[in-house]
Amino acid sequence: MSSIDIYPTSENSVLITWPEKICPVQHQQILKTLEKINTDLNHLIFEGVASYNSIMIYYYFNKVTFHQLKHYINDCIVQVNTDDLLSHRDSLVTEIPVYYGDEAGWDLLAVARQCHLSPDEVIKLHSQQTYRSYALGFTPGFCYLGTLSKELILPRKPTPRLKVPKGAVAIAEQQTAVYPNISPGGWHIIGQTPLALYQKDNDNFIPLIQVGQQIKFTEIDKKTYIELAGKAPLIEGNI
Amino acid sequence: MPSLTISQLKGKASFQDLGRNTAQHLGFSGSGAADEYSYLLANQLIGNKLIENQFSAAALEITFGQLSLIANEACQLVITGADCQPYIEFKNGKELVVKNNKVFTLSQGDTLNLAMPRKQLHSYIAISGGFSATHWLNSASQTKNEYTLEFGEAELTKGTKLHFSADSSSYMPVDEHITKNKTSHNFHQSEQLVLRFLPSPLWLTLTPHTQQLFLNQRYQISPKSNRMGYRLLGKPLIVKNVSQTLSKPINYGTIQLPNDGQPIVLMKERQTIGGYPTLGTVIQTDLFRLSQKRPCEKIRFISASLEHAQAQLFAFRERFRD
Repeated sequence: MSSIDIYPTSENSVLITWPEKICPVQHQQILKTLEKINTDLNHLIFEGVASYNSIMIYYYFNKVTFHQLKHYINDCIVQVNTDDLLSHRDSLVTEIPVYYGDEAGWDLLAVARQCHLSPDEVIKLHSQQTYRSYALGFTPGFCYLGTLSKELILPRKPTPRLKVPKGAVAIAEQQTAVYPNISPGGWHIIGQTPLALYQKDNDNFIPLIQVGQQIKFTEIDKKTYIELAGKAPLIEGNI
Repeated sequence: MPSLTISQLKGKASFQDLGRNTAQHLGFSGSGAADEYSYLLANQLIGNKLIENQFSAAALEITFGQLSLIANEACQLVITGADCQPYIEFKNGKELVVKNNKVFTLSQGDTLNLAMPRKQLHSYIAISGGFSATHWLNSASQTKNEYTLEFGEAELTKGTKLHFSADSSSYMPVDEHITKNKTSHNFHQSEQLVLRFLPSPLWLTLTPHTQQLFLNQRYQISPKSNRMGYRLLGKPLIVKNVSQTLSKPINYGTIQLPNDGQPIVLMKERQTIGGYPTLGTVIQTDLFRLSQKRPCEKIRFISASLEHAQAQLFAFRERFRD
């Protein structure tokens, strides 16, 4: 318990932090805690956002004081069953098809050069392992996936691009992600996926990747990309 | 459905309400009116219900004025916030100056003109019943970075029709006494703004010297500031050995400290998660004030307690209770 801190971050929010590490078991505990808080304290709170090692809870400060809420949150943390941490949600692996070809992977050659690898080795390292989704943020449907193979770790690009294509598969530091839509972006683009990263159903926004989910990237060729996307991948400068 | 058409737009305009605060876990920005005081005042003066946290009436937020609207049907409006010297151009060519915080009527064919304001940034136009803007995840608020997602209303431009409900003409005048009482406060002080902030755990680990450097200097608002964040310029603040480096959820008002040592205060269109070290959070009532400050104006910081911040926000909301 002593390793978990709860402190106020605004008039109506608290941040709960766990030790500063990227760890699937700890992250699962964080998600279970959020689930429990969302259920048990439903009448006092209106939002909960999880990340790698933290949860932000937004509450109605006219209904509960920070100190009362902290007490209730502590109760939730204690009651989360840590025996059963890697639940069935983790066993589901969502596959994301990626075309890593030159025109789709805008930074593939540069990444390969900087990592002292061949482009094929970059593709192999990126697609051979399973990733965990640690946080949703940046833009709707953007999921931070970890942990990237050590050989591929690079800082973000010094100058972010003003526009990256919808479906761009990118890496930065220990993370990989897919840009759900055209947006600015400072990560290295190594491929593109034809898959839609979210769906819109009436008033609901349904992201393809949920926090806590397992993800694997599968290499596809250009022909398959075009069949699935209905168009060729966007080349740099054509956006 | 009755409407107004944007016939000129040189600044920026968007629909705003109290924001999309329950969809941050999906990655949506909280968004919402930059200056909640002027937004709520506009809705209160026109007689719209002020419901907390959800389904508050959508108003038009105009940044740097320079907007003209033609009434396709008669309607009643009120303008608050930055003073854009508004006037009505009647169909017969005559003109009438209108004042901020006073309800007025447009007849079919009349044009409302807003110039560039001399002070402040954001003006709000509220209409009886609210604008009929698409609600998306409990809010009509528009966010620049989310236009490409094509949820809710498209970006407002010249030619866009702003729809409103047919009963907009059923405006019930608000008691003059109340109006006077509500608009007589000097919420946006003209003197230099002092931002009260709740210190973060990182702040508490800083040396007294570093804390004093932050508290004693007058920061200048950078021209790179916008609805997403206010960038501040001052003597760089270098914080070493930050132990918390993983990206975490961030707040409206979070004070981020990037490597260049120049703080950024996150505003309504902030992202949901951020990785920079954070010094604390500016209290909300001061963020409404900050939102109306322009590049080159100066601000400074002073620390505050959670209890003080909550009392300020509570009193602010009480002022707008129905």
